[in-house]
Amino acid sequence: MLAAQAKKPAKKPTDKPIAPEAPFVLTVAGSGGPRIAALNEAAEAAGLAPGEPLADARAKAEFLQVRAVDTAADDAALRRLALWATRYTPTASPYDEANGADGFFLDIEGSAHLFGGEAQLIADLTGRLRKFGLPSRVAVASTPGAAWALSRFHAAALFVLPPRQEAEALSSLPIKALRLAADTRAALHRLGFKTVGALLDKPRAPFAARFRAELLRRIDQALGRVDEPLVPVVAPPVYHSLRYLLEPVGTQDAVVALARRLMQTLAHVLARDNAGARALRLSLYNVDGAVEAIDIALTMPARDADHVARLIALKLEALAAMQDTGFGFEAVGLAVTRAERMTAQQTEFTAAGDSDRTERCAALIDALRQRLGPASVRRFEPVASHIPEQAELLTPAIGDTTAWPAADGKMRPLLMLPKAEPAEVTALVPEGPPRRFCWRGVSYDVAGAQGPERIGAEWWRAPPEVCASERQAALTRDYFVVEDAGGHRFWLFREGLYGRETAAARWFVHGLFA
Amino acid sequence: MNESADLTAARNRAAIMEELRRLMPGAEGLRTALPFGLFAIDSHLPQGGLACGALHEIVPGGERAIAAAFGFIAALLARLPRTQRLVFIVPGYEQRHYGRLSGHGLNALGFDPARLILVETAHRTQTLWAMEEALRSGAPAAVAGIVDKLDLKLSQRLHLAAADCGLPLLLIRPARDLESSAAATRWRIGTAEAARDRFGLITRPRWRLHLERVRNGRPGEWVVEYDHVAHRFSLAAALADPAHARSASQKAGEETNRQAHCA
Repeated sequence: MLAAQAKKPAKKPTDKPIAPEAPFVLTVAGSGGPRIAALNEAAEAAGLAPGEPLADARAKAEFLQVRAVDTAADDAALRRLALWATRYTPTASPYDEANGADGFFLDIEGSAHLFGGEAQLIADLTGRLRKFGLPSRVAVASTPGAAWALSRFHAAALFVLPPRQEAEALSSLPIKALRLAADTRAALHRLGFKTVGALLDKPRAPFAARFRAELLRRIDQALGRVDEPLVPVVAPPVYHSLRYLLEPVGTQDAVVALARRLMQTLAHVLARDNAGARALRLSLYNVDGAVEAIDIALTMPARDADHVARLIALKLEALAAMQDTGFGFEAVGLAVTRAERMTAQQTEFTAAGDSDRTERCAALIDALRQRLGPASVRRFEPVASHIPEQAELLTPAIGDTTAWPAADGKMRPLLMLPKAEPAEVTALVPEGPPRRFCWRGVSYDVAGAQGPERIGAEWWRAPPEVCASERQAALTRDYFVVEDAGGHRFWLFREGLYGRETAAARWFVHGLFA
Repeated sequence: MNESADLTAARNRAAIMEELRRLMPGAEGLRTALPFGLFAIDSHLPQGGLACGALHEIVPGGERAIAAAFGFIAALLARLPRTQRLVFIVPGYEQRHYGRLSGHGLNALGFDPARLILVETAHRTQTLWAMEEALRSGAPAAVAGIVDKLDLKLSQRLHLAAADCGLPLLLIRPARDLESSAAATRWRIGTAEAARDRFGLITRPRWRLHLERVRNGRPGEWVVEYDHVAHRFSLAAALADPAHARSASQKAGEETNRQAHCA
């Protein structure tokens, strides 16, 4: 058994880059505020330790860089590392929460000789981990418990324990080496037990009576009296199917038919795993060695061969002009580049069921996106802003829609001009509503004007240093709903407040009402 | 005694069903028409409303009436059940000229913007393809869009696609490029002065509808106003003297303005 402990590679991409040479800690929410969960060497040198409150740490270290722990990313990184370690043995098991979640077990029974022995294996392992930039501590022992304890608390970073010497090796280690819960550890500490050896010398019966079963189980696990099963990490499934052809194909129909056949084989595997494809890649291997890749994105996870084939056909049609098939394709591969969970759904008895419509909608959006480009199929997304042109966003029509707030009775134009267009306006008084205006070369007599609706610049959005320089640009607007004699309704605004912001306010047409 | 009680129950049920049918159009069976809910207009149309499964042309009456045409379509489609998505297909160049649909504007007309899938196309071929694709997919409850040039053959193709899937296709057609087409109806939408309350504030938009062409129906002309809260069309007070209405609203508008200045 081998236990490897690697320092957490937890780094989150954030706006401010981390300077590795300065103290840097990751924090986790604990009792009485955030506490340090992990730290780098500089922070250690500054006298910080895991578990310390962040407030104390800030007092000790100057210029402390702090980020919150991203547990999910840590787990994923550890899993990836454990998967990588299956190069040594098929049974690699990342630590769970009770084990500290910062390393992995490898069951190297029977595979160590392939690397020239246990010592050579761990030397190879640490060497490779160092190349990844991960300092590590590795121990080999007959039980996972002993390996775990030695990897953490033995003086040497690399250590191989000969069989049946667990008790001697562990006896000098602190109680912490037994992977006990915090309260059990505290109780033992109170009773004066400092090392594992002190526990091993005492009779078992009083411990069984006074402590939870955990204590004796951990001791037995470390000494190999009871088994500790490991849960091996399983590589995520790879959905890929490839077909070699006797005779190269060059026509679009043939490629689409092949893609459909490949998707049918993949659909079975996907259905078994309750998964659906969100992104696919069709690779076309040309006879002269070139490989063409066609990427397809789907709005909803799907495993319908006909739908995928249709999307591929649409994409190929769009590409047809620039594509040169040459001598044709000798192999065609289809891979699911992103799979998502897709649960089986009850079909509706009536044809016009809502879920059915959602699926058809997704299929329509997929088809339109394939042909017209991903940016051309969009939906409206509300944005909390008062500035009319920033109050909404057109986003690609993927995923769930955001619910819109109920209309609040403000008049908003149905058509917004892409950019507010200047208009020449005559008004009776400078701050009054327009009387006449000229826009796009046509002059309109105003029959009725409603307003003003005053919309100021959103000072809280701009960062403070920008604010001073941009104060001129961000002027207050007075919006008027204006109707001309013919019943056309316009949305005009006057930019800038007379006297305070500007000497000569300018007028713009911003939208058309229905 | 017993019999009469049964009869009353049956009548009640019939009344309830009638009420339900009115409240939930399309709940049972396929919808065949989009009614305006106005007898004056519905009686001119063969199906008692804008036929589903047909092509309808909406012509803005004048260069600046395009917003009114969009408003008319949004008002009509807002009356469809809320769960269903709607597709608008608009060429990018048209958007750059007239401006693009605004979510808050649709919201103010009672049309939930989250229902809308907005498709932007680069040229006419794409527009027509996207329309047919959207119709044939059967996903949305209706398809609307702008097409500038449309000959008889293309319009027949679109009409057939709409008829096959029983969805209404509403096309905004610029007045300059009108040719004969296979559309079931052709509407000319003109602007009209909005309905105002007694303080001179705009309450409801008004449109001048001119049903120019209708297959198996009668053409007609109306001024309607639209209530975005109740999703209801109503005839604008046709008998009121327009000159009188205007002067009243103007006076009210001036007064409010004057008050604003004083304050």
